[in-house]
Order: sequence, then C-alpha cells, then structure tokens
Amino acid sequence: MKQLRQPMLMAALLFGGVGGASAQQTATPGPLTRAQELERRGNHAAAAAAYAEVLAASAGDASALLGLERSLDPIGRTGEVLPHARTAVGAMPNAVVYPVLIRSFMRIGEPDSALAAAEAWARLAPREPSPWRELSTAAMRQRNRPLARRAIESARERTGQEHALAYEMAQLLAAEGNWSGATLEWLAAIGELPGYQLTALAALTPAPERTRQQILETLEKTLTLDARRLQAPLMARWGNPRGGAEQLLSGLTTASRAAAAEALTRFGEQLRSFPTPEAQRARAMVLEELAARSSGVAASRARLEAARAYQEAGDRDGARRMLGNVGTDADAAVTGSAAATLIGVLVDDGRMEEAEEKLAETAPRLVTEERQALTRRIAWGWVRAGKLDDASRMLAAGSTVEGIAMAGRIAIFRGDIAAGVTHLRMAGPYAGSREESTERTALLALLQPIEGDSLPELGAALLALERGDSSRAASALERIAVPLPPEKGGAELRLLAGRIERMRGERGSAERLLRAAASEAAPATAPAAELELARLLVTLERQVEAITLLEHLILTYPTSALVPQARRLLDETRGAIPET
Amino acid sequence: MKRRTFLGAAAAGLAVASVPAPLRGLVGERAAPWLLVPMDEGQGDHLKAYGVTFRSLERGQKSEWLLNYRNGSFLLPADAATVRDCALSGVTTEPASEGEVGRIRAEIGQGNMDAIPLEKAPKVAVYAPPNAAPWDDAVTMALNYAGVHFEKVWDREVFEGGLTEYDWLHLHHEDFTGQYSKFVINYAGAAWLTEMMERNRSMAQTLGVPSVPAMKRAVAQAISQYVDRGGFLFAMCTATETIDLALASEGVDIAASYADGSPMDTGAAGKLDWSRAFAFQEARLELSPTTAVFSDIDGHQVNSPERRQPLGSFTLFNFSAKIDPVPAMLVQNHRQVIPDFYGLTTSFSRRALKPSVTILADEPGAPWAKYIHGHHGQGTWTFFGGHDPEDPQHQIGDAPTDLSLHPHSPGYRLILNNVLFPAARKKELKT
Repeated sequence: MKQLRQPMLMAALLFGGVGGASAQQTATPGPLTRAQELERRGNHAAAAAAYAEVLAASAGDASALLGLERSLDPIGRTGEVLPHARTAVGAMPNAVVYPVLIRSFMRIGEPDSALAAAEAWARLAPREPSPWRELSTAAMRQRNRPLARRAIESARERTGQEHALAYEMAQLLAAEGNWSGATLEWLAAIGELPGYQLTALAALTPAPERTRQQILETLEKTLTLDARRLQAPLMARWGNPRGGAEQLLSGLTTASRAAAAEALTRFGEQLRSFPTPEAQRARAMVLEELAARSSGVAASRARLEAARAYQEAGDRDGARRMLGNVGTDADAAVTGSAAATLIGVLVDDGRMEEAEEKLAETAPRLVTEERQALTRRIAWGWVRAGKLDDASRMLAAGSTVEGIAMAGRIAIFRGDIAAGVTHLRMAGPYAGSREESTERTALLALLQPIEGDSLPELGAALLALERGDSSRAASALERIAVPLPPEKGGAELRLLAGRIERMRGERGSAERLLRAAASEAAPATAPAAELELARLLVTLERQVEAITLLEHLILTYPTSALVPQARRLLDETRGAIPET
Repeated sequence: MKRRTFLGAAAAGLAVASVPAPLRGLVGERAAPWLLVPMDEGQGDHLKAYGVTFRSLERGQKSEWLLNYRNGSFLLPADAATVRDCALSGVTTEPASEGEVGRIRAEIGQGNMDAIPLEKAPKVAVYAPPNAAPWDDAVTMALNYAGVHFEKVWDREVFEGGLTEYDWLHLHHEDFTGQYSKFVINYAGAAWLTEMMERNRSMAQTLGVPSVPAMKRAVAQAISQYVDRGGFLFAMCTATETIDLALASEGVDIAASYADGSPMDTGAAGKLDWSRAFAFQEARLELSPTTAVFSDIDGHQVNSPERRQPLGSFTLFNFSAKIDPVPAMLVQNHRQVIPDFYGLTTSFSRRALKPSVTILADEPGAPWAKYIHGHHGQGTWTFFGGHDPEDPQHQIGDAPTDLSLHPHSPGYRLILNNVLFPAARKKELKT
C-alpha cells in the first residue's frame, strides 16, 4: 500500500494546485472558460490560442497547460506546447506540468531532455515513481524501448521497490518478445493491485502461439493463487479449458474460503462465454468445487448450475451426481429447476418412464410453460425411442401451438401425411425455436408435391432419420422416390436422400441422388439440388463442373431464392472473393 | 433473302439458342438491341457492372459510358453473351430500343451529361509481389470481384521494359523508398516482414542493384517513363506518396540504415528535386526511422499517435461531363459523400500538391484532398489515398474484405472508374 499512498498524496497536492487555479479563475474567469468552450466545440486551433493566452498571464496554470496540450494534439502542432511547459515548470514545478514537459520533449525527438526533466522532477519527489512512470510511458509511445527500460530501472533503484512500475515493465518486456519476463511482471503488478488481473489476461492472451507454453510454465512455477487465476483463463482461451480448471482447483488448497470462492466464481463466469462441450465440462468442475465450498441455498444453486453445465457438456452422469445433491433446504425455484434439469437428463438417457414419474411428482411446483415444455420434451423422447403411441399420449392433454406442431410430425412418422400436413399448417411458421420452425418448413416443402395421403414407408424413413439411423433413412427415401415422378415428390425425396448421403460422406451416392433430383421437370426442387451438388463438387475439387452447374442454376432459374447463394458460391469458386 | 442476311439471321438464331429459356426474350430479332446498365440506386451490383462492360469490350463490342446519366450508366449491345454475363453477375439491365436510346441521347444533350464511347478493353497490369494474395490490395480485390482480367508485374518485369505491353498500371501498396513501409523496427521478427525483406534483397542482388532503396527508385523511374509515354497510372495508399519521394530523391539518401546500410541524409529535404515527381512538392520528410510515416504529404498520419487525424467523409467534385470528361469519368458514382478510410497514406495535404493537380475529391474544410489526378508527359496518373474503402481502420492481419458483401461500395466504384477510363476513345479525352 505504500506505493499507492504516495500517489494519493501527490493527487491531493495536485488538486490543491488546481484549486488554486480555480480561485484564480474566479478572478479572471473569461479566458480559461472560453478556451474550454472552444475545445468542447472542437475548434482546436482557437482553443489552443485561448489557452496560450491564459498561460501568458499565468504561466503555471495547470488546467491551461493541459488544455493547450490537448488542443494542439488533434491539429498536429504538439511541438508548440514545449515553450509553455518549460515556462510552467519554472513557475510551478509540480506533478502536472512535469509530465507535459516530458511528453513534449519525447514528441519532438529529444529523449535526453525528457530524461533530464524526469531527473529534475525526481529530485523534488525522490521516493516517488511517478517521474519514471511518465518517462517510460512517453518513451514507449515513441517506441524508444531503451529509454523506457532505463526509466523503469531508475524507478526501482531510487524508490527501493523491487517491482515498481511492474505494469509498465510487463508491457515493455512483451514488446521485446520476453513473454516469460512479462508474465512475472504482470504477477507483480497484480500483487500490488488485484484489479490488474483482467488487464494482464487481456495483454497475455494475444501472445504468439510459440510463446504460450513458456508463459504457462512460468505461471506454473509460481505457487500463488494469483498465478493460478491467470493461468486458468489463459489456458481456456488457448483451447484447454479443462486443463485451466484443473490448474485452478489444484491451487485452492491453501486459499482462504473467500478467495477460493471468488476465484471459482470468476473463472466460472469466464467459461460461460465458451460454447464448447469441453468448456462447459470445465465450468461444471469449477461449479462443483464451488458448491462443495458453499453451504445452504448457495450450494444448491451452484450444484444446479453445475448439473446444467455437465448436461450441456454431454456428461449425464455428472449432471445426475449434482442433481442428487441439490439440498432439501433449497428454495422452491431451485428444486423446480433441478427437477426440470433432471427430467432432461432422464430423457437424454432414454429413461422415459422415470422422466414421466419425475414430471408428475414435480408438476405442482412448475409454472405452466415449464410443465408444457417438459411434457413435449418427454414426448419427443418417446418419438426418439420409436414409441409413437406414448408420444401421442403425452401430447393428448395439451393444446399449445408447439404441441400441435409436434403432433403433426408424429402423424407424419405414422405415415398419415394428410393429417401431418394439416397439423403443421395449423401450427404456422413461428411456433417453437427457430430451428424447429425451419425444420417444419423444410418438412412441408418435402411433402407438398407428394399426392398420397398415407405413406407409412415415408413416415418410417423420416422417423429413422429422426432417430439417427441416416443410412436406413437415405436408402428408404431413394426407394420411395423410384415410382414418383420428379414433380410429384420424386425430386424432393432424392434431394433429401442426397443431402443425407453427403453428410454421411457417401459422395458417390450423394452425387448420383442430387443429379437425379436436379430435374428440370421439378423446377421448385432443381435449384436446391444443383446448389447442393455444386457444393459437393467444390469439396471434391471439381471446380470447373461446379462453375458450369452454378451458371446453369442462375441462368435457368433466375427467380429462385437460391440465386444469391449460387452467385456467392460461384464467386468463391472462381476466386473472385475470399473463401469463407 | 440475301445470303448475308440469311447468314446473319442464322448466327442470331444460334446465339439465341445458346441463351437459356428464361433470358430468350432479351435477345434475338424481336428483342431490344441495347441494354442500359443503370448505375443509380436500382443497380443490383455496381461493381460487377464494370466487369460486364469490360468483358463486352474484350469481346470486341463497342459500348458507351453515359456520364452523369443515372449516376454513370453504361449502354451495351444486347448480344447473347452480354445478356448471359449480366444474368450470371447479378447486374441489373434494362432493355432499350433504338427509340429509347434516342430519348436518352436527347436527355443527355440537354444536361450536364455526355456519352463517351468505350472502344477497347485496356490491358491491365498490377505491380505486386509474386506471392501477394488478391486480398492484400483493394484494386486486385475489385478487379477479381468484377472479373476484370489483369496480369501481375514485379521488379524484374519493370527492369526488363515489360510495362510497354500494358495500357494501365496499378501500384500495389508499395513503399518505393525501399524501407519496407518502415515496419522494420516495430514488426521485427514477424515472418511476413522477414520474408518481404529477404525477397526484396534477393531481387536487388539478382538485378545487380546495390540496395533495395536503389532498386525501388529505379522501378519508380521506369514507371514515370511509362506514364510519360502515354500510360495510365493508378496508385493507392502508400504507393502514391513514396513513388513521388523516390522520384524526387534521385541522388539523395532518404532511406534509414536498415534499408541500405547508411543513415538518411540529414539534409535530404533540401536536396529533393520535385520537378521529377507526379503530384507533390515541397514536402517535409519524416526523420524518425521507427515512425511508419514518410513525410507530411499524408494529411492523416495514421501511424503517428501525436499527429494522427480522425476520419471524416470526402466529397466528390461535380465536373462538367462535356468539358471535362476525364475527371467526370473518374468521379461517376451513386454517392457524392463517401466515408473516409485509413491507409499508410490516407490523404494528400493541399499544401504539398503541385498547382497542376486536379482534385477529384476532398473533405470540405480539411487541409487535405483524398483523390487527385494529373498529367505526366503523354500519360495520366490518379492517386487515391487509403488502403481499403470498406475496411476504414485496416490493420495488418485483418480478415480480407469480401466484396460480395459490398456490391454497391462507392469507394470501390472509384477504383473501377479508373480501370474503365482508358477504354474511352482518345479524342474524347479533352483534359
């Protein structure tokens, strides 16, 4: 704190000085106020002249000197501040005018004079690092690293503080490519002022890839919580969030309860913005540890959050373990949310009966929307299990728009195309999430040209696709398409089968199906099939064929909504724009 | 039916047959003989319209540039290839009958407009390192996006007199003072810089020139001779400022020691001969070898924290299409006021401009111009400050600009005006 107290004293002196200037302003309010008003309006040249006028009358006026420096900067005349700064230092040598003098010398390329000014200032405040901080900052701005280093070393030598100006030294070392040294300086800066934690993180994150291991090793050798707190988010940002979490957890053994909770909470928050399963697993680990170090409602909330994070990471065992420990002392909202999360886990596990029982047990504590959403989730779980009757039973009591949409899809899976289409149209385009809405629209587009009201084989193929059996779905779709004319659904079914085969990496089969789908007899389907085929050809490095196909699409179907996408792919394939 | 008429009809029939059914109404005997490519707000892709016009010229067709008519529209013959090209490129066209064209000509005759015949696609060269990606430079990006064919030339080709093969030359953002854009200190160790320095040193050695600054000056002199003999030169960013510094500094060392082994001549500024330069005079040199600024020609000084000026907007001048067709061609646009963008050289201080320079665009009230043009011997040059009109704060390592997201970019239109301008019939170029 010693280092911090001295600047505060300096600030008090500074405000005293400014206060004196204010008193003077009261006597002659005109010129300074006018200068500030001109500066506020962006009339920098006039403001500079007005500030110079104030300084002519009162050479040590710190406000006027700073104003002059600010006004000359945007008009590229910063060199003109030097004579005023010199006079001001003679009239009132203090912590405001010396920095202006140092900056002025550096700007006009006189580093020796800047050093002399810092020395002069340091003689007035021998234990104060400010003169050297000002000199090092000005030198760094001019990329004069030797002088910046000399300033920092002077500060350390004169003040006797081993880590004085650690923040400045960290930046200097990073600029010199000494990332290991910069890391140690950042730790020193954080030790003095914990608020530097985020600054250090921001400064070290863009370190070149080849230096990252060196930075992490430097942190690992430093056995402090500050080092772990810096190491963990750096590892997360550099692609190893789980390693970061492990490092942080290992560094908590000697930390106080409050410090550990603060470190865990902060790292958990930082991981929230990483959408990968690996990051969510790391977050779950951190929250689990936080729960273990908390009690009562706070612990239950942390466990619930951990359960959700484990679920997002695909670790259902972890989620169950957390949910089993959500305390009975938790409030209703927490237990309700815990139950909802558990139902989700059970559905993902395929334990539908248990999920239904849990829902029945929890329903009274849930709000209507939450209960309906869980009901649909269980229903969809039954669909994925292939038990359409159970899915329909779950939906029977509901009448939400989302429920109607789901009922439509179930009807289609049963092969009842007419009822399915009716339900989907009734649900409209906006029910549910954006992905659900897009899926429904695509399904309607697929079914629209098909004339049959009942097609159980098609329903079974779509159900197989929903259950992840894409191979079976693709061959079934192709089989169903055989007797259908292109314009009566044959092209649409082949297009879907072709897309599935492309996703499966079955390129030959995908190409055959997409070529068959790109029939001019089905003008509503052909552009999509040609675009899909062109994408496939590009990945196969058959650019010439892709270009011919895309040109055909654009010229043959100029009103298709896919033409802008086709033009973009054409530009990319021709090398007219960078690849995305 | 006469044989010639019959053959013509047969050829037309074949051409129509090559056009897909949806476009057939636009070609053939019953179709309008002209396509108007409007360049106002109704245009679907302003940048590709230049490419369509350029390719039409390459196929030997004659076109017209309707200066100030619907923001600089083009009138193209409605042949099958052009119709197809417009459809593929997403360029908006309007079929125009002879009567309609007559009405347009009458309107042009009565206002500040003119119809400039475009006769021959210029042969375009870009002075750029062999390994430069198209996305490194705004002009190559524009040429690629519009589909204008160009060839790359580099120091060896220039030394061997290769420029004579081209009508139009663009200078990639090159530092003709040979100081590697003065990035040597601040980006020391960066792979791209090491590679750039190595490539240039190796080229200087191969060409038997003592240093990179000497080699770049020789290149600048060859480019100056190219323009002097009737070439069209277009430059952006730092190439504008440094080519003039290189030309003016013959016999004077203006390069830092890391570039040629000897420090800059401290009295260099007083020894420069500006009569050799294209656009600038009486500029003051930046003496610091570490500041990535060359002189006070640039009004914005982006790499000098103390002198850096904020970005504003620049305004295109409105020239008389009938009296000053050249500057009028260069400023054809659907926007008069365009947001400014930084480059190593962003703008040109008015104080440093030669009196003969034509200012095409400037920032009202600011002491700099953005876009300038002039003559040099029998040729012309155009300088446009800044690096990338759609990436105003461009930094090294930024993602490349995707022009399909900016098909109406007014800044990029200015670049393409320059590409097409040499296609105009010589006798029309009065200024």
